[in-house]
This record gives sequence, C-alpha cells and structure tokens, in this order.
Amino acid sequence: MIRAKKSIALALAAVVLAGCGGGQQPAQGAGPTGEPRQGGTLTFSDVQFVTDALSTNYTTANLLFQVVDRLVYIDPKTGEVSEWLAKQFSRNDDATQYTFTIRDGVTFSDGTPLDAEVVKANFDQLGKGDEGKKIPAFSDFVGYDHSEVAGNTITVFLNRPNTNFYKVAANGRAGIRGLSTLARDYDGQAKIENVVGSGAFVYESQIPDQEVKLRKRPDYAWPPASSPNQGAAYLDELVVRVIGEPGLRAGAVQSQQVDLARGIQPTDEPALNQGGFQVIPVAAPSLTVNLAAFRIGNDLVNDVRVRRALQLGIDRQAVVDTVLSDSYRASDSVLGHDDPLFTDVSADIGYDPEKAASLLDEAGWKVGADGIREKDGKRLDLTLAASNQSVVFRPAFEFIESGWRELGIELVNRAGDTTLFNQANTDPATPLLGTRTGYNIGLGLLFGRDKGNLTFTANDDLIALSNEELKATDPAQLKDIVAKEQQEIIDDQLALILWDEVQVHAAAPNVHIDFTNYTEPLFQSAWKT
Amino acid sequence: MARYVLGRIGQAAAVLLLAFTVIFWGVSILPTDPVTIFVAKGEGYFNPDVVTQVKGFYGYDRPALEQYFTQLNHLLHGQFGFSLSSGQAVTDRIGSVIGETLKLASTATVLALIFAASILLLATTGKVEWLRTFIRSIPPLFSAVPTFWLGLVVLQVFSVQLGLFSLFPDGSLASLLIPALVLAVPISAPISAVLLKNAEATLALPHVNTARAKGGTPGWVIRKHVLKNAAGPALTVTATTIGALLGGSVVTETVFSRSGLGTVLLQAVSNQDISLIQGLVMLTTVVIVGANLAVDLIHPILDPRVTKTQRRGFNTALGRFA
Repeated sequence: MIRAKKSIALALAAVVLAGCGGGQQPAQGAGPTGEPRQGGTLTFSDVQFVTDALSTNYTTANLLFQVVDRLVYIDPKTGEVSEWLAKQFSRNDDATQYTFTIRDGVTFSDGTPLDAEVVKANFDQLGKGDEGKKIPAFSDFVGYDHSEVAGNTITVFLNRPNTNFYKVAANGRAGIRGLSTLARDYDGQAKIENVVGSGAFVYESQIPDQEVKLRKRPDYAWPPASSPNQGAAYLDELVVRVIGEPGLRAGAVQSQQVDLARGIQPTDEPALNQGGFQVIPVAAPSLTVNLAAFRIGNDLVNDVRVRRALQLGIDRQAVVDTVLSDSYRASDSVLGHDDPLFTDVSADIGYDPEKAASLLDEAGWKVGADGIREKDGKRLDLTLAASNQSVVFRPAFEFIESGWRELGIELVNRAGDTTLFNQANTDPATPLLGTRTGYNIGLGLLFGRDKGNLTFTANDDLIALSNEELKATDPAQLKDIVAKEQQEIIDDQLALILWDEVQVHAAAPNVHIDFTNYTEPLFQSAWKT
Repeated sequence: MARYVLGRIGQAAAVLLLAFTVIFWGVSILPTDPVTIFVAKGEGYFNPDVVTQVKGFYGYDRPALEQYFTQLNHLLHGQFGFSLSSGQAVTDRIGSVIGETLKLASTATVLALIFAASILLLATTGKVEWLRTFIRSIPPLFSAVPTFWLGLVVLQVFSVQLGLFSLFPDGSLASLLIPALVLAVPISAPISAVLLKNAEATLALPHVNTARAKGGTPGWVIRKHVLKNAAGPALTVTATTIGALLGGSVVTETVFSRSGLGTVLLQAVSNQDISLIQGLVMLTTVVIVGANLAVDLIHPILDPRVTKTQRRGFNTALGRFA
C-alpha cells in the first residue's frame, strides 16, 4: 500500500522538478531532464482493460506498443516516417508497392528471429484474414494483394494505391508478432499472455480486468530511430492498472498510487497543476479532430442548411475556454493543427448565431410553442452518441446545448453511453456521432463512402478526390488534394468541427515520459528519479 | 423430498430455457448486431466486407431460427460460444473473473448479515429511546444511498486524501473489505428491514413474555426466542438479493477498479455480445435458482413450524408449498 503522505521537502522538490506544470510539449519529453535514471517500476493507469489484443483502440495500442514493434515509426517531432524494424523503406510512384528492408539481429522474446518471412506472415494474415483461425482482414490494409520476400527485404503489393500505407504500418494493429502467436486462433491471439513480440517489454503476469505487469527486455537494441533511448528500457518493470472512473485517475496520481494516468478530466487539471504534478496534453495529429458526424440520411439533418446552422451555433473557442482547458485547441478543419496535411478551412464556420437562426428559418424549421423548432410535425431534437474513451464530449455538449437551445434546437446528450455509441456506430438512426478516428483508409473515403462510414451517405465528389488522394506520393500534391477534401467536408458540413484530438495525461513530478504520434507512452525511454 | 427437489430442478430448467429464449430474441430484434459492433471496434467506420466475413465465422449469417436452435444445442453440450466483445471464449471470459466476484459477493453478504443482526440487536435491546429510533431508520437510509456515490466518497476521502488504503485491489484485506462494505450497505437494507419487522412481531408473542418472565436478559431473549423465528423470512430476502448483489457489483467493481462479473456484464450488454450475455444469464439464473432452493431446504431447520406433513411438498404457517 502506498501512502499518500509525503514530506514537505519532497513536495518542494517535486514542484521544482515539474517545472511548468501544464501545456508541456510531449514531443520533447515531459518531466525531469538530464541523465536518465536506470531501474524502478512505473505504474501507468489506463481507462479500461485489454481483453482483446487484436482490437485497435487507444488502450490496446498503449499496451501493445510496449510489447510489439512495428516496421516504421512516425517521428512525433517532425511527423515524418522514420526507421524502426525496417532500416530502409521505399515505395513506387503510385503507392501500390512498398518495400521494407528488415533490420538485422532482431529477435522475438521467445528467441526466434524477426525477419522478412515473419513480416510477410504477419501482413498476409492482416491483409487477407485467416478463415480457419477466424481472423478477419484488417480494414486499414486497403487493397492488400500479396507480399514477396527477397533476402531480408519484403515488398508489399497492393491492388489499388494507398498513400497511407506507411501510416498503416506504423499503427498499432500492424505490430509484428512471432510465428507462435500467428499460429493461434483469434481467441488465442487476443490474449495478451500469448502475444510474442520483439518489444522493449515482455509480458510477465496479469490479474484479469485489473492489471498487467510487463518486465524489461534487457537485450532490446532496436528502438525507433527517433527514440531518445537507443537501448533497452531504463525501467525494470511496467505495471498497467485500470481505473475506469475518470475522477479517480487524477486522485491516483495525486496520492502517488500511480506514476502516470491517461484520460484526465479538464476539471482535475488545475488541482494537479497546483499540486506540482505534470499535466501533459498529448496531441494525436494522425487522427481527425473531435467531431460530431452527421448521419445525412436522417430526416433531421439531411438539409445542409440545418447542418451549417448547428455548426454556426457552436462557439468553439468558448467551448475550449469554458468547459475544456489550456490543453485543448479549437479546430479549424476536420484535421488537427499538428497534422502536416492540415489546411485552415474555418472561414465559413465561425460562431454566428444570427445566421444560424436565419438558416433554420430558411430551411422551414419554425419555433414551436415550447421554444423548440418544428417542421412537418417533427421537433428539432437531436441525439448525440459518443465513446467513453473521451472524457470531455459530455461536458462540452452540455455547454453547446445551452447555445443551441436559444436557437430552438434540443439536444439529447448521451455522450459516454457505450451501449448507444456501439449501436450508433453501425446504425444511422442516431443523427450525431461524436468521435475522432484514424483516416488511414483515406480522408475522402472516410467521409465519402456509402457504407460503413461516418455519414452513411455516398459523396461522389469526395470519392473522386479520394482516388487522387490514395495515389498521391508527392507531399505537395497530397496536401493540395487533402485540402480540397477538407474544404468539401466543410462545404457539405458533413460533421460538426469541434476541438483537436488530445489525450491529456497526468504524471508524478519525478517521471520523464515521451509519447508517440498516436499518443502511446514511449515507456522504452521513460525513467523516474 | 426427492420429488420436491426434482420438481424444483425441473422448474429451474424451464426458467433457464425461458431466460435463454427471451434474451436471444430480445437481442435479435435490436437494430445492430454484435458482429458489426465487433468489426467497428468503436472506430468511426467499418468495412462491410469484413462484417460479412466475420458473420460467416460464427454463424451469424444464418436465419435467426437456425441460430436459436444451434446456440441452444451448443448450450446443452456445455459450449457457451465466443465472446466477440472480449475476443475470448465465453467460458474463459467468465472463468477468469468469477472468483473475484465470488469473493466480493460472499464477503458483502456476510457483512450485510452482520449489519442486519447488529441493527436488530441495537434497535431492540438499546437502552436509549432516541438511539433505537435512529437505528430503526438505518435500513431505509441504506437503501437510499447510491452505491457509486458512496464508493467514490469512500475512495476520495480515505484513499486519495488520507492515504489509508490503496485505490486498487492490492491483495490486502482492506482492499477486499472496503468495497464489500460499500456493496453490503444496500444489500443489508431489505434484510434488516424484514428482520426488524419480524422481530417486532415476534417480540409481541406470548412465548417471549414467558422468556422474559423467566428472567432472561434482553440479549438472550433476542438470540434464543426472537432471532430464530424472525430469521426465516430474512433468509428468503437474502436469497432474493443475489440479483441486487450482481447489479451492485457492476458499480462497485467499476468504482474500485476490481475485476469481476459486473464488469463483464457491462461489457456484454454494451456490445450486444449475445453469447456472453447468454453465458452470464445462464450462470446468474442457476445461482439464483440454486440459492432459492437452498433457502427452501434450510427453512425447516430454522423454523420448526415448517413441517413435512404432506405427502408432497411442505406445509408451513404461511401456506402450503407444493
């Protein structure tokens, strides 16, 4: 049992070490600087337990990143693709062939070598699935055809272009597992104890639904090229503990029962800052911003004027200033400010309640007796679903609702209701889906595809643009195309643009921690004083 | 007796079949399905081709009636299927955490019984009138306190502020007792209410006066002549609190970051994970039916008025039980 009491001297030292509490740049590493300290156990608190190591949410990625390495790494400082298990990588001009040369001397934790053949076995299973093992194909491996191995080089052949394949290969599900893991059925591979990787940490033990213990792999020598630590982890042991209740995660850091916690509420940030603890906003530039996607087929929101009015009724900056915190930034596009492909398309979506009201009038929605607008016997009451992985959707929409109500719009705010969110994800009956998501399948397809997308309605302009997007290998050309897509999404107001994606962490003052481009903690370079 | 037990087991089987049927069709009519939720994995998009692929893996592409009978057949052979939401076999998912829930629930039940007995003793033997009145008002108060609120307050004050125990289960006695205490509070409310009511009724009976006239101390009278009589109905209520115990454990386990069936239930329902829901419902039904059966069998031992005077079933002061 860890006691919360600490000496005044320690507290003072902590404040000094913490430096400037909030708003630190995770890319440069948060916490104490100087010579890294070897050894120790770090306890990290995440929001839920990983029961399925093949799932793709934040929690799974945070755990699996420590155990399983990937071919390439997105350098969080530059946003560039850089070396990891692949010491060289290249692609052809239309993004249909990707070649990776695998680093020499890499081994899995069971002692078997990690070579191009193992990578091929991984990619074949990811790209095509394995019916006998009940493993579905991974959706991000768009157009995967086959791979060919020559020596220690693997070439991936896609049957249609995908300029995002590097990002796919750098992302969680594409981590390279050992052959003994791949030989298992889905339920065998889903168990964390069965995951054999080449990562800086190795699975040690678990208490189901409570915690997982990982231990350092002493012979680890193949970290991402841009990791500040080019050898084995400094920490001896890593404990990942689940705290489902958001308020308690901050309390766990404050009482020094955990060293680092994810999913900190804005309301807990001031107390953490004042107490000398680190509040670390970690940006996720590879994801879309936080948005509420419109299910266009829904009667209430199928008129673009209504969708635009809803956006104009949101004061994005006021949401950040009032409900969120300095860790957050109001968005100016569907992509975040830190995304290299970001283009500011906010000119048409500034807060303008008067214009919003006139657009609603124009669209035929008249204010009814109870103050809520009506049209053809229907009230303008909208239901919002959003995941419990975000701790801020609910309070943010409570604030937004107050502004909307003055415009005659009613909101049923069910953010954080997992049951509804899961239903709404796959069923267009709920008009608003709050989310932020990767766009490795292409930004155009994410919003433009007719089935299984955010809007559930085909958008021919976006589909045409996505064809260009997915084969653009020239950065300037890609940026230009994605800029047009961002403008198109705003022109059609396919989603409410809200705030940039950020995962706010809290850490003890004595913890030095870096994060990846996908917000995973890079525990391989973490240390404690 | 054997016929009685066999009859009860037959009733339990009928209840199980009914529960299975209601859950299957209840989940089937929902607008989405577990496979699509599994493939979407909480992301903003999903690939319909992959949904079709996975439906084929687990037979979700078959007509609903065929699925119903296939699942029923599997269940009869002890196969609970695959839990899509957790990526594990249902038996693995439930088996990995059931021990934790059993520990928490049994500790909470023992504490609830101790609470109830203490409330009874203090409310009937206390020397100060206002204290007795106050203690009588505890059961309704306990049933009104929301478990999540109580759990959060206990953790914030005693763990975060005072550092008296860990926020997590750390293997210490405190990390089991404290969540069990929180869970025991609402569970003890109906037990103590029934116990008090019956005790008050028993206290007015002539044999209690006789016991007092013999010079028995209040504690002795309560133990020997009141508690035994009043315990029967309270025991029945205890058996019926199993459902509340599971419901309460969803909240308690979440707040105290414990593993257990409550968390699994929440996961199953949130993801429309029909196999996992079926597994949990079957388990819960078996436990509830089993507990009620056990209570029925213990009842005659506690209360001699429950006698086996009929050829079939029991005859009690409350009526005849077939």
